[in-house]
Amino acid sequence: MNALTQPIVAGQPLAKPQHDLHNARTLLDATLRFVRQQAQPWAGSGFAKATDDPYVISRFGDLQIRIEVAAALLQRAEEFLNNGQEDTETTIAIAESHLASADALNAVSNAEFELTGQRTPLSGSVTDPLRWKLHLIGNFRLNGIHPPSVRSVV
Amino acid sequence: MTASAQPPRTAHVIHSDAEAIAVAHKLAARFAIEASARDRERRLPVAELDEFSASGLWGITIPKEYGGAGVSYVTVAEVIKIISAADPSLGQIPQNHLGVLDILLQTATEAQKRYYFGKVLQGYRFGNAFSESKSKNAGAFETRIRFDEDTAQIDGEKFYCTGALFAHIVPAVAVDQENKAFIAFVERDNPGLTVIDSWDGFGQRTTASGGVNLDAVKVPLSAVIPAHKAFDEPTADGPISQIIQAAVDTGIAVGALEETKRYAREARPWIDSQQDHGWQDPFSIAAIGDLEWRVHGTEAILKKAGQAIDAALRKPNEDTVARASVVVAQAKVLSAEIALLTSSKLFELAGTRSVLGKYNLDRHWRNARTHTLHDPARWKYHLIGNYLLNGVKPARHAWN
Repeated sequence: MNALTQPIVAGQPLAKPQHDLHNARTLLDATLRFVRQQAQPWAGSGFAKATDDPYVISRFGDLQIRIEVAAALLQRAEEFLNNGQEDTETTIAIAESHLASADALNAVSNAEFELTGQRTPLSGSVTDPLRWKLHLIGNFRLNGIHPPSVRSVV
Repeated sequence: MTASAQPPRTAHVIHSDAEAIAVAHKLAARFAIEASARDRERRLPVAELDEFSASGLWGITIPKEYGGAGVSYVTVAEVIKIISAADPSLGQIPQNHLGVLDILLQTATEAQKRYYFGKVLQGYRFGNAFSESKSKNAGAFETRIRFDEDTAQIDGEKFYCTGALFAHIVPAVAVDQENKAFIAFVERDNPGLTVIDSWDGFGQRTTASGGVNLDAVKVPLSAVIPAHKAFDEPTADGPISQIIQAAVDTGIAVGALEETKRYAREARPWIDSQQDHGWQDPFSIAAIGDLEWRVHGTEAILKKAGQAIDAALRKPNEDTVARASVVVAQAKVLSAEIALLTSSKLFELAGTRSVLGKYNLDRHWRNARTHTLHDPARWKYHLIGNYLLNGVKPARHAWN
């Protein structure tokens, strides 16, 4: 049994980060599944599958890093706790674990809303994704390449 | 600096992980004292490097059966981090030396391993003549190696040759007619080898990461190893090169965070804070808290990366090497970002006076910005995501 399989017990100093990390992992899995099985590529991206979209791919890289940091800092806090005394260093390690797990959960929640289009107040997050707006701006300002819709008008 | 092919004294031999960490702490305390002065004057750390390699730290990855300590890569990363927190130029200089030791382990003959590991345990330092600034990309080489009956000849032009100026032996990468990469171990005083002190980058100023010219350099065949084999087959060589990069950047972050706290304690209170001292500012206090957990998170992942490399060395295959690449990439992203963030927050929390030239605090940011350019973090997000989302294993080369 480890931090990720322990039941949440009220009053346990690491219950909250365990809970947040568990939820972050569950949400990440659900988002991965959706993008692999159901997501359509954005039409303007030129990719056949959503899983080929480099911005989607690197987004998952970011999420995994945050989750791994949360897991590592949770483990670190557990080690402080298991090594004995309730000293300040332990309290600080626990606080750091809380921050890291909440950071991971926040990031994964946002990504889930955006990439699955479910439960998000941001309309068009799937059909008209912001990540490709950045590409549109950058490709014109860096390379002078006009967005397709504008070129067709001219 | 005059070319010398021998160390001035025989190195101490380190026998354990714990000894390596203890020696690193002792050296770092001394290296920290003049780190700022060396940066300001671009004073090359010749004496410091002699002390560094004589300490035995440059031989700790040599396996026990060859007389080394065969330490864990968790320890290697910790050692480089500790030294880099004091002076990241000194932390970076052994980077390629350590990479070459692993390529020797993976691809050299038994006789070559005994010979070169023996030299390193005596205190010999490897530099590097790997990268080329004029080739199409970082992995492309124009430098040629031609094999005769009992010698090989190398011709080419190199750049970013960290450590070469201080090395006793300069390993040079060159490709044969089939574009396969070999490494030739060129003695520092070998005719045709010229090391140029041309590094004038604004950060990592005393790494002497300048040029090397190889003009009809001849070495015996016994001084050549088939380095391409370290990547033809799955080995941990790429992750090993990368973890040292991540350890240097983590060290920069640790050093900059210590400096941030020191100067934030002395900062004037902001007028609207209604406080008597800068250290009472609630926003500064929270900003330190934010940096602290991020630095600790980075250190924790660096340790995981070392463990993943150890696993890949114990059992090298496609999966263990891919996993090591992915975890090292996480450490690489985190360390690059925290080094830049910490070295910039330093000024925000210390206030305007901290930019005065006499403090030379900009060296932390200059070092962070320069060293983190080695390979872009943006492609590490992609590497990690592609493995997670699509199960695509990272390409095997010295940058993954």
